[in-house]
Amino acid sequence: MALTGRAGLLAALGAVLVLFAPRPGLAVAGILLLLAALVVVDLLLAGGVRGLRFQRDGERLVRLGQSVRVGLVVENSGPRRVRGVLRDAWPPSAGATPRHLRVDVPRGERRRLETTLTPTRRGDREAVTVTVRSVGPLGLAARQGTHRVPWSVRVLPPFLSRRHLPARLARLRELDGRHPALVRGQGTEFDSLREYVVGDDVRSIDWRASARRSDVVVRTWRPERDRRVLIVLDTGRTSAGRVGVSPIPGAGGRTAGWPRLDWSMDAALLLAALAARAGDRVDFLAYDRGVRAWLSGASRTELLSSLVTSMAPIEAELVESDGPGMVAAVLARARRRCLVVLLTDLNPAAMEEGLLPVLPQLSGRHLVLVASVADPKVAAMAAGRGTAERVYDAAAAEQLRGERRRIVSLLRRQGVEVVDALPEDLAPALADAYLALKAAGRL
Amino acid sequence: MTVTVAGSPAPVSPTAGALWRRGRAVLLVAVLVLVAALVPALLAPSEESGRYLDPGDTSLSGSGALSALLTAHGVSVSRADGVAGALAQAGPDTLLLVTEASALTRDEASRIGAAPGDRLVVGQVPYLDVLASGVTARREPARPRSREPGCALREAVRAGSAHMGGTAFTGPPGSTGCYPDDGRPTLVRYATGGRTVTVVGDGAFLTNRRLAEDGNAALAVNLAGARPRLIWLVPPDADDADGMGDDDSGDGGSGGGRGLGDLIPDGVGWAVVQLVAAVGVVALWRGRRLGPVVAERLPVVVRAAETVEGRGRLYRARRARDRAALALRAAAADRLTAPLGLPRTATFDEIAAAVAVRTGEDPERVRSALYGPPPADDAALVALAGHLDTLERQVRES
Repeated sequence: MALTGRAGLLAALGAVLVLFAPRPGLAVAGILLLLAALVVVDLLLAGGVRGLRFQRDGERLVRLGQSVRVGLVVENSGPRRVRGVLRDAWPPSAGATPRHLRVDVPRGERRRLETTLTPTRRGDREAVTVTVRSVGPLGLAARQGTHRVPWSVRVLPPFLSRRHLPARLARLRELDGRHPALVRGQGTEFDSLREYVVGDDVRSIDWRASARRSDVVVRTWRPERDRRVLIVLDTGRTSAGRVGVSPIPGAGGRTAGWPRLDWSMDAALLLAALAARAGDRVDFLAYDRGVRAWLSGASRTELLSSLVTSMAPIEAELVESDGPGMVAAVLARARRRCLVVLLTDLNPAAMEEGLLPVLPQLSGRHLVLVASVADPKVAAMAAGRGTAERVYDAAAAEQLRGERRRIVSLLRRQGVEVVDALPEDLAPALADAYLALKAAGRL
Repeated sequence: MTVTVAGSPAPVSPTAGALWRRGRAVLLVAVLVLVAALVPALLAPSEESGRYLDPGDTSLSGSGALSALLTAHGVSVSRADGVAGALAQAGPDTLLLVTEASALTRDEASRIGAAPGDRLVVGQVPYLDVLASGVTARREPARPRSREPGCALREAVRAGSAHMGGTAFTGPPGSTGCYPDDGRPTLVRYATGGRTVTVVGDGAFLTNRRLAEDGNAALAVNLAGARPRLIWLVPPDADDADGMGDDDSGDGGSGGGRGLGDLIPDGVGWAVVQLVAAVGVVALWRGRRLGPVVAERLPVVVRAAETVEGRGRLYRARRARDRAALALRAAAADRLTAPLGLPRTATFDEIAAAVAVRTGEDPERVRSALYGPPPADDAALVALAGHLDTLERQVRES
C-alpha cells in the first residue's frame, strides 16, 4: 500500500480544525481515526494490482545512439477499475523515458503503454519490473504491486564508420571486375575472354583462343575472390581503456571517451562490410582468456547483422589477455591461409609478455595485420611545451610512443602489417590497409 | 507483433499473508523488547519523585528516616510547605529547620529571620544575611566528605565524625565553628537574642542515603532534636504550584504574572501534535518508492592515458630530467631520420652531423642538443625541448 499527498493534506488541514475545536485532544484522536478509516475504505475500493496481466511487444534490437519503443499491454481482469501510476523499470543505461506512466484501465479492458528507450551503451538490456500503484476512489491511499514482465533489448554497436563505406566500395570496384584488368599481376585470377578492342594491351591477347576463333581475343583478370578474413578482437584489459571523445552521449559525458573495444568494433564492422562486398569470407573471434564470441560461415547478406548481434554483448574483461591461447584459438579455427586482423592495443608491456613471442606461429601460416587505437591524448601530451610540468608529460608520452614504435618495427620485421591510428581514423585506415593488401594480391 | 518470451510475466510483490509470515518474528521480538524495557520502568519507584530533604520522603534523597528517628526521640516533627504555615507554629520552644530556601523571597526570609525560636539552616541558602546575620559564606566551596568535629560543641563532639562540607563559613564573634575545611568551619553556631542559630554547609548528612554513615544520625538528632517541637520548612510541591498559580510562594521573583505557556491556548499544543501526524503521513507518502531500486553492473571507466599521465607525474616528482631528456631526444632523432634520408638504424653521431649540415648550425650545439649531458635544471629541460623542436622544424623546412 501507499499513501497519497491528499492524505497528508487532509491531516495538515486537520491541524487547523484542532486549533478551533473546543476539545482539541479529542479532535486530534477523532481526525486521525477518521483518516485511518478513510484510508482503509480507499484501499478496499482501489482496483487490485495483483491480478493485472501484462504483455510486451515492440523492438528487440536497437543501434546504440538510436531510440526504440517498447509497448506494454496492461490487462485488467479484476472486478474494479485500476487507475494510478505505472513504472516500467529498466536499468539506468537503457535510458527509459518517461519514468512514470499514467494508467487507467476499466475492468475487463486492456490498455497499451509505450516506453522509449535510448540506451547509452552496448549490450543486452533486460526489463527489470513493472510496478503499478492503483489509487482508490477517494485518492487517499493506493495499492501497489510489482510484476516481472521479461523483455530484453539488444543494443548493437552503432557502426558509425559506415559513412566511410561508399568511398571504399568505389576503390574496391576499381580493383574489381567492373574494371577488369588486362595485366596479369600477383593476386589476380583469370576472369574471362573478350574481344579485342582498340587500345587494349597487345600483350594480353590470348593467341591460343584467338586461333580457335576467327577473332582476336584478350584475357581479362580480376582480383582474387573467396579469400578468408578472420577478425580477432582482443577483449582483455587493454581494450577497456577509454580513448578519444565518445560519439554517443553516455553516463560519463563525452569527454570520458569511448572504450578501445568499441572503436575496434567500429573498425571491424567497416572491414567486414568491405570484405563481404569484395567477395571474401569473414569470420569473427573475440578472445581474452577464453573465446567470448565466435562467428563463422555467415552468408554474405547476413554477415553484418549477425556480426553486430554477436558483438553487442561483449564487454571488456579486466584480465590480462592470453596471447598464446589466442594464437592457438586462431590456428585451430583457420586451417587455410587467411588474413588475420588482430584488433588489440600496442601496449608495450602486454605485447611483450603476451602476443609478441607467439605471433611468429601465426604469421608463418597466415597474413597477420595488427590494428590498434592510438590515444589522441598521448599525442597532445607529446606536443606539450612551455612549462616543466608539460615537458615532463611530453617526455612520458614520447617514452610510450617510442616503445610503441619499437613494437611496430618488431612486428613489421616479422612480416606483420600494422595499422596504428587515432580513434576516428582507425576504421578507414584499416579498410585502406585491406584494400592495399587486396590490390597487391597478398591475401 | 506480440512475442511470447521465456519466463512469463508474474507478480513479484509479496502477498499480505507472506508479509505477515515474514514479519511476525521481527514483530514478536520488537514487542518483547518493548515490554522488557517498559515493565521495569513501570515497576521501579521513580527517582524523580524524590524530594530532597523532605521529612515525608523515603527515597534516598529524602529525610523520612531522620523524621522517624526524631519522633522516636519524642520530638514532634511538623512539616510546613509554606512560610506562613511555618511561622504560625513558631514559638519559643520550637526549632525551625530551613533546608531549601531557594524558593523563598527576601521578604519571606526576613520574616523567618524575625520569627521566635531556634533556627537550623542547612545547605546552600540565599539570604544568609537575614536568616543568620553575621554569618558569611566563603566563596570557595568545601568538598563534602567525612570530617572530624574539631571543636568543643557538645552535639558535634558526641556525634564524632560526620559527612560535612558544602559551604564554608565565617562566623560572627563568639560563635562556635566545627568540622573545619582548611581551618574554615562548615558548621557555625551562635546565640543571638536568646535564640540559637545553627548554619550547616551541606544537608547531605540528613538524607536517608547518608544517615547511617559515621556519626551523621547522631549529629542530625542532636541538632534537629534540640527542642521538643521541630518545624520542618520544605519548598512547596511543584505540582501544587501550577494549581495555585497566584500563591505568593509559587512564582519566585517574576512578580506573580502568568507565564508564556499559560497564555497559549491548549488547542495549539494539540494542533502541533496533529501537524506532526500530518508530517508523518507526508513522509509515508514521499517515502514509498514506486518499485524497487534498479541495480546495474557498470563497465569500468578508465582513461587509457592514465598510465602515461602517471609516468609524467613520476618524472616530475623525482625530477627525472635525465630520463625525460632521453625520451625527448630519442623521439626527435626518430622523427629526424626520415626527412634527412637516413636509415632508422642511424646513430646519433650521423644524425647530428646530417642535421648540422642541413641547417647550417654549429655542429657542437646540435650534438649537445641531441646527445649532450642531461639538463641541469627544469628550465634547461624546457629549453632543450624547445631547441629540439626548432631543429626538427628547420630540417623539415630546409
